[in-house]
Amino acid sequence: MNIFIPLIAGVLVGYVLRRKERRVNVDAPMSIALLLLIFFMGVEAGKVKIDALWLLSSSIVFAALTIAGSVGIALLVGGRG
Amino acid sequence: MRFLVYVLVALITGILTGHFYAPEFGNLYEVMLYLLILIIGIDLGQSFRLAEIRKLGRLAIKLPLGTLLGSLLGGLAASLLLGIELRWGLAVAAGCGWYSLTGPLIAQYSAVYGTLGFLANLTREIFTVLLYPVAIGKMRKELAVSMGGATTMDTTLPIMTKFGGSEVALIAFVHGFVLTALVPFVVPFILQLLAGG
Repeated sequence: MNIFIPLIAGVLVGYVLRRKERRVNVDAPMSIALLLLIFFMGVEAGKVKIDALWLLSSSIVFAALTIAGSVGIALLVGGRG
Repeated sequence: MRFLVYVLVALITGILTGHFYAPEFGNLYEVMLYLLILIIGIDLGQSFRLAEIRKLGRLAIKLPLGTLLGSLLGGLAASLLLGIELRWGLAVAAGCGWYSLTGPLIAQYSAVYGTLGFLANLTREIFTVLLYPVAIGKMRKELAVSMGGATTMDTTLPIMTKFGGSEVALIAFVHGFVLTALVPFVVPFILQLLAGG
């Protein structure tokens, strides 16, 4: 899976920077890249043609209930802390 | 909080652009994703300590399995609520936010439910982006990772790192990785198991 390539490369770069005690602040580039990614995600979502209100409302119900189910089980296995 | 407004503006602008102009950006989305993953890797490499992995312990396995089980329970509830055949509802839910895989897998059997699989999981990803910053105010931030499902190793990892801190990045990545390994098996399994022969 090629998602590992930039991740491992980044970890190595970060580790080298840490060893050299030259910490780089990645907050700003991460925010910019994240906003661009969300914009592109929105573009893809906007292209989807929704013919029926049913499809949209069903998607929202599924998304909300699957999130609620996952979070509920997470609270059971991990505790409320 | 101001950043969340920027996120909303970026999302709405993107949706409007996609809806009215439907532009093709080629592989810019993937390039941006890989750039983000690289930046996250640098952040992890700079701040990560081996002792932190040990701190994850059993949670590294329990949390993604709990996420999958919770998703299926949510899918069961949604199916009953909407009057959708269980086979489709559970397959949609088993996608755990991985819309680009779930949609096409289900569409092999039904175009309508394939579209639902795509849109429901895309909505889950969008909800995670919007709600994770709010959820961590109410619960432990590493447990709130579960809302992102399989997307926590890539597309929602940045938002979790941004709001939860680099210590959440590790559990989010492991959580997403385990689910990414499971979902391609679970969705077809459900579709075939409940196909009725």
